[in-house]
Amino acid sequence: MRPTRILAAAVIGVLAVTATACSETKHKGGSDSNDATQSSGPKKKGGTVTIANTAGQTWTCNFNPFNPAVYNTSIGFVYEPLIYVNTLKNQAETPMLAKSYKWNADKTQIDFTIRSGVKWNDGKPLTAKDVAFTFNLMKRVKSTDLYALWTTAGLQSATASGDRVTLKFEKAAQPYFYAFAHQVAIVPEHVFGTGAAAAHPDTWVDKKPVGTGPFEVDPCSPNNIQYTANPDYWQQGKPYIQKVEYPAYLDNGPANLDLANGKAQWGSQFIPGIKQFYLDKSADNHTWSPPVQNVSIHPNLDPSHKMTSNLKVRQAISLAIDRDKVSKIGVGGQEPAANQSGIVTPTFDKYYDKAAVEKAGFDRPDPARAKKLMSGLGYSPSKPLKLKIITITGYTDWDASLNVIKQNLKAVGIDLTVQDLAQQTMVGKLYTGDYDLAYYSQQTSGPTPYYELRQVLHSANTAPLGKNAASNWERYKNPKVDQLLNDYASASETEQVAIVKQVAQYMLDDVPVIPVVEAVDWFQYNTKDIAGWPTEDNPYAQPAAYNFPDTGQVLTHLYSKSAQ
Amino acid sequence: MRFILRRLGFFLLTLWAALTLNFFIPRFMPGDPVDALVVRTRGRVSRDALEQMLTSFGFKPDQNVVVQYVDYLGHMFTGNWGRSIGQTLGEPVTKLIGGALPWTLGLVGITTVLAFVLGTLIGTVSGWRRGGALDAILPPIFVITSALPYFWVGLLLILVFSQGTGGWLPANFNYDTTIVPGFSPGFVGSVLSHAVLPAATLLITTIGGWILTMRNNMITTLAEDYVRMARAKGLGSRRIMYGYAARNAILPNLAGFAMSLGFVISGAILIEYVFNYPGIGYLLYNAVQNVDYPLMQALFMLFTVAVLVALLAVDIATVWLDPRARAKG
Repeated sequence: MRPTRILAAAVIGVLAVTATACSETKHKGGSDSNDATQSSGPKKKGGTVTIANTAGQTWTCNFNPFNPAVYNTSIGFVYEPLIYVNTLKNQAETPMLAKSYKWNADKTQIDFTIRSGVKWNDGKPLTAKDVAFTFNLMKRVKSTDLYALWTTAGLQSATASGDRVTLKFEKAAQPYFYAFAHQVAIVPEHVFGTGAAAAHPDTWVDKKPVGTGPFEVDPCSPNNIQYTANPDYWQQGKPYIQKVEYPAYLDNGPANLDLANGKAQWGSQFIPGIKQFYLDKSADNHTWSPPVQNVSIHPNLDPSHKMTSNLKVRQAISLAIDRDKVSKIGVGGQEPAANQSGIVTPTFDKYYDKAAVEKAGFDRPDPARAKKLMSGLGYSPSKPLKLKIITITGYTDWDASLNVIKQNLKAVGIDLTVQDLAQQTMVGKLYTGDYDLAYYSQQTSGPTPYYELRQVLHSANTAPLGKNAASNWERYKNPKVDQLLNDYASASETEQVAIVKQVAQYMLDDVPVIPVVEAVDWFQYNTKDIAGWPTEDNPYAQPAAYNFPDTGQVLTHLYSKSAQ
Repeated sequence: MRFILRRLGFFLLTLWAALTLNFFIPRFMPGDPVDALVVRTRGRVSRDALEQMLTSFGFKPDQNVVVQYVDYLGHMFTGNWGRSIGQTLGEPVTKLIGGALPWTLGLVGITTVLAFVLGTLIGTVSGWRRGGALDAILPPIFVITSALPYFWVGLLLILVFSQGTGGWLPANFNYDTTIVPGFSPGFVGSVLSHAVLPAATLLITTIGGWILTMRNNMITTLAEDYVRMARAKGLGSRRIMYGYAARNAILPNLAGFAMSLGFVISGAILIEYVFNYPGIGYLLYNAVQNVDYPLMQALFMLFTVAVLVALLAVDIATVWLDPRARAKG
């Protein structure tokens, strides 16, 4: 989502012409060549993977897992979490540094049993004390508490005894499990507890990260990080891949070029015209980009914005938009159409109430009903309501999507003006509520739709106009929804599904935001030599290379075909 | 001497004004470093933690502006430029600039000098032999190429020499990322081959201007009495061409050259962008994109100083080349 797409698109536009002009068009085979090799079982070691994920900067060679500018190059590769939670597979859990865990009845206390026999890559053993130390470090130095565990989540103590670590919370903390078990990377006390690292764990430059993970950094230069396999990794026989190259791509264009010509095998950004530019280049090139959250129109619900705070206008907008067409024309079919309930399908199908969406009439575009709603307010195509929508300049796929939306709305009596703003300006306006309509992607996702819905709808995440709202930018306030979202924490798993469905019902009734398409994890992969990639049939991890600690899962599954 | 002193005084005054603007303008820019970081971390990380993090790295927006300004002026002169609070969070700014500057100086600097020298030479010769074969071919071609947008030329070169030929020349980075930097033949070769396309792009698009102005200056100068005088004295044509005509014709070009040298340091942003070349221009783009005040300040300061120093140098060079300037001073 970097605003570099104009240029990228230009490069690709030019290149696409050559692709058709001077290369024979090959079509993607029906089945993946790595189907046969999906079978588990130990693999021989060897091979190299090159990642093409736009970094937008040269590497600083800092691997401090608390520094949010660099943590995705260390967590997953070198540092590991307690439990891996798979967003794409119904929160399926893989025990990592914790062998197992146990909640108490009201989910205010959790006991982790730490795996024995795990070694830091400097040879020292991992202990429960390291784990407790990591959490207590976040209490001592607030800027390292990236997920607000000691504040919002209500963590009260983290103690170790024997091989067990106990976290105590002041209230039910199940929704934060994803943060503290899955996202927090465990660091060694003997490194972060001494010297400069102990004094300033947030600003400390971690050149040679000491972790438990499958890879070690060796060496790092501004242009490229090379990871080599950790020979003493605790998962016996893994990783199969012996080397990972992570060049610092400054822009999508060159990264996509290297993907297309096979120099890089693991891609993680938008490729415009992917069929011609990438898939047709080789039968070994594949893409699978699973949706994880929504790209939505955020209407300003504050009463001072008369039109967008009117439910009928919002209903009309949602009904008028032909989401399939937006998906097809706006983003070349690479992002699927969303639905008004805000539940991302098929990823979270379990929470999706199709009948409710149908009952509310949002299962297909209904311009006739939208037109009726608008004419009830005194507007028609000949006398349209004028509305402005802000978006980020350079996001050409969003511009294309908005163009389709504009056409859709024109037919029902809304004249939409698209205002392209620089990213900082746009985001500033969005946070402070200085807009009528905004086209933006909710940033946070989690292993269930609860995480996104809570961000968008809970009134704790909003603020008065003029103040920065955290994530409820449309300023939606509904005590009933707040209550539901609060109840989620202590609910059982089946109750949680029911709660999400109830919240989704409010999305249909109140139309607080209007999801248009589903944002995906960008993922392209090459199977010429490397196999074991996550696929639609085997979604064992979120596939994009910027997702940590999912990278750790992918890296321990990949293997080289030629080494077998 | 008085002339040079006056120039120095002017230099200091301009520097102060530029530094002051440099402090205030980024702060009037829309956007906020915390917002930018929230966006970049995909909203995963708590805003409080990010604010704390930026504070640890020296971002103190609530401090008195006057105090900040005085601190800033001091730091600019002592080289204590702080740490990046943008995309390269926590990196000392001096290190970032130190890493990027050599690449920009090497690529854009050498190319600019080359373009000037070649352009001036071609301009001199084609002005001297007005209507000759060289004059009929080169200036028109380069006038056209200099009118082309250089990012477009860059894309075209990538298309032809990198894509079309199956990777003759690399289209991105400053050297092959699999090579460990060092003074090995492989590394030097890699650096050179990676510089070919961006350098060619710059050369193609900038040389035309030098050729055209130099040629026209030559033609004007050749009509001067002192050139006729030199001819009458029976001097060799080479001597007249370089010692009499070109020496005078180059004067207006020098100021332009100084300006372009000053701009070298800001890098050709688009060139670095298209070719994924990790130089100063790209650094600036990122700094602005991520509201990275410390990095922006240091970069703008460098650009200002570079242009001002170049202008000062040209003033001095003009005094040396042109006796009239000396007499006036």
